[in-house]
Amino acid sequence: MKNNFRHGLAFVSFLAIFFNYSFPLFSQNLPPTNVSGIITDADGPLSGVNVLIKNTTRGTISNLDGQYSIRASTIDTLVLTYLGYKTQEVAVGKSSTLNVKMQLDATTLDQVVINAGYYKVSDKEKTGSIAQITSKDIENQPVSNPLAAMQGRMPGVDIVQTSGVVGGGFKVRIRGQSSILAGNEPLYIIDGLPYNSQSLGSQSAAGLIIPGGDISPLNAIDPNTIESIEVLKDADATAIYGSRGANGVVLITTKKGKEGKTSITMSSSTGVANITRKIKLLNTEQYLNMRREAFANDGITDYPATAFDVNGTWDQNRYTNWQNELIGGTAKLRDLNAAISGGNNNTQFRINGRYLNETTVYPGNFNYDRINLNSNLQHHSNDDRFQFTLNAGYTLEENLLPGSDLSGVALQLAPNAPALHTEDGSLNWENSTWVNPLAQLEGVYNNTSKTLLGSTIMQYKLLKNLNLKVQTGYRSTNFESNNQIPHTIYDPAYGLDSSVSQSYLHTGTHTSFITEPQINWKLKKENHSWNVLLGSTFQSQKTNRLTLLGYGFANNGFLENLSAANTLLILNENSNQYKYQSFFARVNYEFKNQLYFNLTGRRDGSSRFSNSYRYGNFGAIGAAWIFSEQLKLPWLNFGKLRGSYGITGNDQIADYQFLQNYFLVDHSYDGNIGLEPARIYNPNYQWEENKKREVAIELGLFKGALNLSTAYYNNRSSNQLIDYSLPATTGFPSIQANLNAIVENSGFEFELLGRVVRKEHFKWNSSLNLSLPKNKLVAFPGLENSTYSNQFVIGQPLNILKLYNLKGVNPETGLYEFEDYNGDNELSGLEDRQYLVDLSPKILAGLSNSLTYRNWSFSLFLQYVKKKGFNEYYGTEPPGTMSNQSTSILDRWQELGDNAPMQQYTTGVNDAAYTAYSRFSQSNGIISDASFLRLKSLSISYNLPLAQSNNNTCKLSLMAQNLYTFTNFKGGDPEQTKGFLPPLRRISFQAQFQL
Amino acid sequence: MKTIINQQNKTLALFWGVIAILVLSSCEDYLEVQDPVGQINTETVFTDENTATAAITTLYGKLRDQVLLTGNSNGLGMLMGLYADELDYYGSPGASAEQFYLHQVTASNQMVKELWDNAYHLIYLCNAAIEGVVNSDALTEEVKTQLIGEALFVRAVGHFYLVNLFGDIPYITTTNYQQNATVTRLSEQLVYEAIISDLLEAKNLLETNYPTPERIRANNYVAASFLARVYLHLGQWQRAEEESTYVINNPDYVMETDLNREFLKESTSAILQLKPKNEGDNTLEGASFIFSSGPPPVPTLNYRLVEEMEEDDLRKESWVGVVSDGTNAWYFPNKYKQNLNTGTTIEYSVVLRIAELHLIRAEARGMKGNLTGAANDLNSIRTRAGLQNISISTSEELIDAILKERRFELFTEYGHRWFDLKRLGLAADVLANIKPGWQSTNILLPIPEAELLLNPNLQPQNPGY
Repeated sequence: MKNNFRHGLAFVSFLAIFFNYSFPLFSQNLPPTNVSGIITDADGPLSGVNVLIKNTTRGTISNLDGQYSIRASTIDTLVLTYLGYKTQEVAVGKSSTLNVKMQLDATTLDQVVINAGYYKVSDKEKTGSIAQITSKDIENQPVSNPLAAMQGRMPGVDIVQTSGVVGGGFKVRIRGQSSILAGNEPLYIIDGLPYNSQSLGSQSAAGLIIPGGDISPLNAIDPNTIESIEVLKDADATAIYGSRGANGVVLITTKKGKEGKTSITMSSSTGVANITRKIKLLNTEQYLNMRREAFANDGITDYPATAFDVNGTWDQNRYTNWQNELIGGTAKLRDLNAAISGGNNNTQFRINGRYLNETTVYPGNFNYDRINLNSNLQHHSNDDRFQFTLNAGYTLEENLLPGSDLSGVALQLAPNAPALHTEDGSLNWENSTWVNPLAQLEGVYNNTSKTLLGSTIMQYKLLKNLNLKVQTGYRSTNFESNNQIPHTIYDPAYGLDSSVSQSYLHTGTHTSFITEPQINWKLKKENHSWNVLLGSTFQSQKTNRLTLLGYGFANNGFLENLSAANTLLILNENSNQYKYQSFFARVNYEFKNQLYFNLTGRRDGSSRFSNSYRYGNFGAIGAAWIFSEQLKLPWLNFGKLRGSYGITGNDQIADYQFLQNYFLVDHSYDGNIGLEPARIYNPNYQWEENKKREVAIELGLFKGALNLSTAYYNNRSSNQLIDYSLPATTGFPSIQANLNAIVENSGFEFELLGRVVRKEHFKWNSSLNLSLPKNKLVAFPGLENSTYSNQFVIGQPLNILKLYNLKGVNPETGLYEFEDYNGDNELSGLEDRQYLVDLSPKILAGLSNSLTYRNWSFSLFLQYVKKKGFNEYYGTEPPGTMSNQSTSILDRWQELGDNAPMQQYTTGVNDAAYTAYSRFSQSNGIISDASFLRLKSLSISYNLPLAQSNNNTCKLSLMAQNLYTFTNFKGGDPEQTKGFLPPLRRISFQAQFQL
Repeated sequence: MKTIINQQNKTLALFWGVIAILVLSSCEDYLEVQDPVGQINTETVFTDENTATAAITTLYGKLRDQVLLTGNSNGLGMLMGLYADELDYYGSPGASAEQFYLHQVTASNQMVKELWDNAYHLIYLCNAAIEGVVNSDALTEEVKTQLIGEALFVRAVGHFYLVNLFGDIPYITTTNYQQNATVTRLSEQLVYEAIISDLLEAKNLLETNYPTPERIRANNYVAASFLARVYLHLGQWQRAEEESTYVINNPDYVMETDLNREFLKESTSAILQLKPKNEGDNTLEGASFIFSSGPPPVPTLNYRLVEEMEEDDLRKESWVGVVSDGTNAWYFPNKYKQNLNTGTTIEYSVVLRIAELHLIRAEARGMKGNLTGAANDLNSIRTRAGLQNISISTSEELIDAILKERRFELFTEYGHRWFDLKRLGLAADVLANIKPGWQSTNILLPIPEAELLLNPNLQPQNPGY
């Protein structure tokens, strides 16, 4: 209470300052009038040109015919900017028509304004490492999550979708994994509001359909409403986010209203999606031959009664491609979008609504529905001293999915397994000889998620060079899911009824509030200019989770009503509060437009640490030197050298770990609750630290036709927050502590931007990004004696596996042989699993091309990743058992002297063969090169030539995602999480109208 | 010029003014968060009698559900029953419990790790509770004495089983993890001294009455009973006799004449019982041992144990169950008869009962040379079992009679049989023939592998592993 009060007091004082100074100063300017015109370049009308009234945020954009219209007063100056063209300033004067011809510019970096979070900076002047994609890159992609739109497009940013199921999760790593055990998630900021990316889902309630129950909260963000996404990577850029910047920062800025005629944009798209890749499996003939050979190898002539596939119980001529049948369906995509935008001199608005519906590739009626509503309102006073921005968004998601993913079973079912349905359409159990995979679909998983986001920015110009700003945001997400497992998923022969039916109910709520008062002071004296920013943050968030399991129902109709369950268990109930307070500052110094220094610092306090360790200091220095100004080489129009060094932190651990608490346990006794210490008391741990270094060179060559940047970074994170293993004599297996382990991430990043062709009717831009990341565990005191000794090796990347080294198949025995590392003539588990495999990517690259020819535009994006992955043998039973296999197993040992890559088939009764195969499953035999080149996105659009007289436009587009993958990998899709759906190939057709 | 300076001063003044507000408006206590749901601050736990008591009763709850004395498959009744000659294994092949049955236990055996880890976790809870109660200003002296007495009792019980299973072990009396992470093993003798010291203090602190109407928490007699057992293990016959006599002479403990009443919740034989979690629940022993159709899904009672009972031993009738599938028959321990929820609870797990005290005293008396006294105590057990009185004339007869009586009276109760074979040096004689994996070093279990890695001070490993 007291907190809130004092907190409120600060806020009120702020407002007081605003209004004390503001009211007398509002003054009347000359009345604005309508100014319009056509913007052209040498080739004709130029669309998409930003028209801004100087020294304000008011602006508009020219339409496809180059037309614009804006309200401005006679003393105003219009600033026209467009990427690749020189910025032009035109005084309005008395004329109401202003036609402007834009000039191509050799250097374009000036125009690219980059959002660095608390401040904005032009690409030319930036001292840190910031990658950006804009709405242009996003809108050509038929995706529903902003993370999907970022995949492969930014150097140093590795994004992998964990499942092709709509509404699932993503794994995001910016410049590698720096924390051994604490979180490695970047910080997401949406319009200034930190957006907790922790899933509200639950492993127990959703883990069979969504890997780890990890549902990306960013599903609630509509990519269509995004203006730009910036990723902050180095110390200079991230240090202002202090303790939360260690894993990088993702800034999402939504589209804002623009002054001018109220325009309505509507688009509708429809499309299809299916899985990218399948594994090549045995057909019936190959499969049955394998089985017969296995029995023969094992010396079994009478097929057992349960070998239904070969003993004649099942039709041996039947063939079903189970991948086609179970996950080979076509999902349908539908998407409706409408936006209204407009406003006058003082006030602009934008409202956007979107409805999205997507079905699944599984048989049955499953689908994901989403409604997004976003609004933006901006206002400024006539004298431009006061500015106000409001962003509000609401998202409703409903996802109905099967209770478990069929991707695993589709690989295992015998190809001659029975039909799914009997003639009357009911599930076929074939006299209880198999488990019908469709029975799983009797169980459903559904979730509903409601997200409300709101943020305001109030700014007041106290003096010409002194600006005050208060940014406030609120987010609330309610998540509810229900996983029903009715008895009908089991064979009716068991005679089960609804008394064994189960139902999980999981709810999660998350609310967060933030307010950030800031002050900005600019000073310019001759060749020197300073820009000082000071601010503070107050943030609190609360997360509640509750997972219930009910079993035993009178009727499956009651599965949604847990009160109807005979037994109700509370599996998990928790509530966490997290608070965060900090001060930050930035001092930027510029000398003669050539030399830049940027000093940032932040003092953070987090409730995740005990009183003594609550505050941490973080900071960085960045510098840039534009050397081209002095060199004046004809072919070099821009050259910059920049570098940065600094420290950021990581507090991504569970809340409350420092408290000395008792918690409820399920050991109640004689009417007393069960109560025991929650953990060993250790308040002495603090932030994990990440020291980041970077040097980079940025070049603009041949009048800006080619821009190149190269960066080398080296990050070392230390003071690692881990659960430190303890001997049991301490009473607990581990303790939350800092360990002086060091993880190093280093690498090179390249970016190449080229204007390949720039002709009257034909423009072609191309860009390439390339990252060569390297991860290494430098130090880990006491590793050998810790529980992590099997997981990590000093000097190796974190993401390694220790495996048996497969030597091949012994031509005599027909069995796999492995290297005996410790030479004891036995394969004794851990000691002989010394073959190291690194699963982290070695090369990440993306090539993007965009072309326009008259009314046509075309874009293409290729993604390349070099890495290793689990191949088609991962998680399989020995070939010869009653489980289908990839066709790779056909090349096997058959008789004495054979040299073959696959050992002899066995039905599992041959102990030696079975053991050898289970070792094979833990050997480098299950790892293959999983590098791929993917045609990640492709789009073609056509602008219908409409009458010139109005601003109406109509655009037709064909867009595709994950269209084709070039790879030698045989284990399905190289990005697939084993046992779950691979990413989907999506093709969609869109019509867009602007009125 | 002057106006410029003024303008700048004004800017600076404003700038610092705003900063002052920014800084002053912050507050250290902004970061204070409420306690998480379902958790209470340790200090608060021990300011309230109810929560302080709950911290103690949880010790019994853990013994019942998880640790050492649990009737589950990871308790001593099951594991040491398999390890000795009481139970036969019918579970899945390769399981950790099967290693006990076959005497193929390795240092990485999961059950061994659980026994060790759970016991030391329980000991931590005892120490945490003792520290909490001692530091509490709010609890009355009476409550404090009772709670500390109970925690000391449970701490001693935990260490008693650990020293019996693992030999030399650390004796943990603090919650200081830095100290506990590097402890060394104490010799068995020192461990026993610490156990006795804890039990004596517990006996001293605890009232002769139970803290609640039922016999489900430790009192003075519970501590004395356990003390009697510890003295027996150490061969301190005089003290073993004194403590057992002390308990036997309490008229509240009357041996039930009907064997079928011995394990009921109202059994007058009981000295310490563990009460099931929810009303209507019965014991975990019942749920673990009883089965209704063959082949058995769980361990069975070794047929020799049943067949070697005397012809008209009533315990065969009352405490042994049998299941047949027409061709084969299997026995199971049927001391506990309930394996399902009965609405109202019928049976409690009996940890200490008066019969054991008679057996302890019989042995103590006999070893002191009082063979008549020994026979008397044994005969009180035999009479109830419907058997003839015996008389003892030599010390060989004594050992034989005691071992036999303990085997038939205490079977599948918390590993009594194994501990008897071990302390009497008879394990090799009895087990070498029936356990092909038997080795003389099997007398101790291995220290869990992970422990030796995490705390090298626990080296060396027990011989044979």
